[in-house]
Amino acid sequence: MSLTENKFSTNSVIRFSILAYWSIFWLFNVIDKLIGGSMFLWVGRDRFAQFQKFFASAGLDSPMIADAALIVAAALEVFACVFFSGALIHFLWKRTSDARSWFFVGIIFTLITFTVFSIGDHIFGDRFELLEHTLFWFITLCSWYTFNKLEVQGENNLHLSKGQKLSATIITLFLVCTTSFSIFNYNENFFHRRTSVLESVEVGKNLYKVSFPFLGGSKVFEGTIAKFKLEHPAKRIIQIYTVPTPLKLKKADSLIFYIVTEEKE
Amino acid sequence: MKEKNIIRLSILIFWTFFWGLSVVDKIIPDVHYLWVGKDFFALFIKFFGSLGLKNPIFATLALASITVLEVLNFVFYFLSLGSFFKSDEGLCEKWFFRAVFSSMTLFALFSIGDQVFGDRFQLLEHGLFWLVLIASWVGFKYVDETKTTRIFGSKGFKLAVVISLVITMCASVSIREFSSKTFSNVDTSVNGVEVVDGVYKFDFPFLADKLVWEKTVNEFKAEHPELVVNYIYTGPGELNSKKKTHMLLYVFTSKVESQEAQELKLE
Repeated sequence: MSLTENKFSTNSVIRFSILAYWSIFWLFNVIDKLIGGSMFLWVGRDRFAQFQKFFASAGLDSPMIADAALIVAAALEVFACVFFSGALIHFLWKRTSDARSWFFVGIIFTLITFTVFSIGDHIFGDRFELLEHTLFWFITLCSWYTFNKLEVQGENNLHLSKGQKLSATIITLFLVCTTSFSIFNYNENFFHRRTSVLESVEVGKNLYKVSFPFLGGSKVFEGTIAKFKLEHPAKRIIQIYTVPTPLKLKKADSLIFYIVTEEKE
Repeated sequence: MKEKNIIRLSILIFWTFFWGLSVVDKIIPDVHYLWVGKDFFALFIKFFGSLGLKNPIFATLALASITVLEVLNFVFYFLSLGSFFKSDEGLCEKWFFRAVFSSMTLFALFSIGDQVFGDRFQLLEHGLFWLVLIASWVGFKYVDETKTTRIFGSKGFKLAVVISLVITMCASVSIREFSSKTFSNVDTSVNGVEVVDGVYKFDFPFLADKLVWEKTVNEFKAEHPELVVNYIYTGPGELNSKKKTHMLLYVFTSKVESQEAQELKLE
């Protein structure tokens, strides 16, 4: 889609974006349900485990309940996805009135989905998810109003002069080159932090500190413990203490833990 | 039903349930069968305790006052919904305005409390709810009268329903399969892997709970009578590659000393 050829008005571009956003939003939610767990190139969210835990917390342990609830949620999401996609197709075929009707059905399915989820959040006491679902409900309503308000023909004078295009391209290329160099350079010099074993620093009698880099994972932790045991054969680890968030320097510190030891008899 | 009425009904249903269930949460204070809810009493006790007001009467009074406003909100929304079903548009709007205004007042009060108690996350949460209420009012009041083209019964609509049903069936099969494949994680102990000499790693699945933990530790001890568990370490989130979907547990062990060695030491 070329914005400079005056083919599309700003309003229709925004309307297209709204339809594309909701179609993709529900499509990926449906794919997440179809896949279930995580696999190569897809992590997603284990909704079955989440639903199972929610219902078990309310005394309903049977997996049938979680399954049934998840199927109802999936059905609502599928219907929303199909109607938004239909709206998008009608929109691309310039059948504006049909696009609006299909979009409206998609919006209703979305509102029902988030209302049902919000009711669940109240019952299961998850206030964070309640906020999340209320915000999505709000975004759904806003999408509907915005889509309708932009039904009128908007301006389509998106043409840019040659000089503006050239200067924007030069600045963009310069920034892309700089950031790419920085990213590749960091990868070249620091990726080893993903697996490199760390040194433990003695900060007190029988007390050692290990500061993790942000890239570190479980392999680094295990390697560090192995190295520590090798270097201190006379010591026995009696505790590992993870520094809690309030003791860290806001976001500048990653994981820090202390190894507490005693002498082997 | 007109498009405008459907949107209005959606808004009314959302907020009626929102406040209705908030009131139910206050009536049922603890965790019960079919109801978990949130322990607002404990939250209020902690908040007031942090101010130096340790007497529970302060938290109780504050919670009771908040509940009064929540009940009022619910009644207003409920009456607005009732007027909507009676097709009394004027009365519906009047009650809805009262409901929105009292809800906004409540969230404004919550926000003041959040500032006093220094809870910035809740301040954001309540600020967002307040904004959603304003948007709900604007949406309710100024929703377009436009009538959408009827698509029910059209060829495209029927096709969409068929496609949706087929995908839903596929999703249902997938959900059932995944559920039957993974449900055993609820009470199956986790196998440990020795990652460092004497250190065992356990990768807990998302479905596992405290009972799985107990079973795992007990089975590990039964399988390794030659080892003594010195320390159990829960891997913090930074060690996980999968977000929130599992838990890492490390068990630090050492060899049990033989009877002879112990006797020698005693001597």
